[in-house]
Amino acid sequence: MAIAQAMCTAFKQELMLGTHNFATNGNSFKLALYAEGGGGKSSTTATLGAATTAYTTTGEVANSGSYTAGGGALTNVAPTTSSTTALTDFADISFTTATITAMGALIYNDTNSDKAVAVLDFSSNKTSTSGTFTIQFPTADASNAIIRIA
Amino acid sequence: MFDLSVGTVGSVNIMTSENGGLSNDQIAEMLANKLIFISDDAPEPIRLQAEAFRDRVRNMAQYYIELARKEERASICSKVREAGQMELANAIGRL
Repeated sequence: MAIAQAMCTAFKQELMLGTHNFATNGNSFKLALYAEGGGGKSSTTATLGAATTAYTTTGEVANSGSYTAGGGALTNVAPTTSSTTALTDFADISFTTATITAMGALIYNDTNSDKAVAVLDFSSNKTSTSGTFTIQFPTADASNAIIRIA
Repeated sequence: MFDLSVGTVGSVNIMTSENGGLSNDQIAEMLANKLIFISDDAPEPIRLQAEAFRDRVRNMAQYYIELARKEERASICSKVREAGQMELANAIGRL
């Protein structure tokens, strides 16, 4: 599979190196959208997964509406804990007046050399046509939060 | 020895629209999803009760989202009408 949901392996190492700061006033994180097949602006297939180390333009969706290359800035929600699980969250993000077909997304650290955090697999193509493309993050708890370390 | 057992990525929910913004239904659904998570592993009676509660929350949210949009349109219409743009005000009023 060209886009496979994963917490990037390099990210796990970088956590131990203190590279990423998810505090509300910490690093800036972004979310970029990707197509599979020929849907990307470069007509090449995005290959994203655990081995992804940084943001790439390969297979990224084309600029449309409020979506521009590199994707949108995420709003950090302060990391917390629930029982023995540490977790962090982001506010939902929307791209408006956009014609987009995307199969997945990459969350990356815009402050630190665009280092990859996680790959999101939408399972199927999701399309907006001159409309809104919204990514809703899961409930921020120990079982569902977008990024969890148990 | 410390054993950092699992790093996990949650599943996102995608909402899209055509020729306009998200509908009241979609926004209400997003709110209900965020407020109430029902585990697939929950015992059936509890799951059914939780689903019924989530439906009620979604319906209530949908009603108030619709009301908020309607009231905002009324305010915009009023301002546009004050500015003498009657046709535009009427068009917004028909949304």
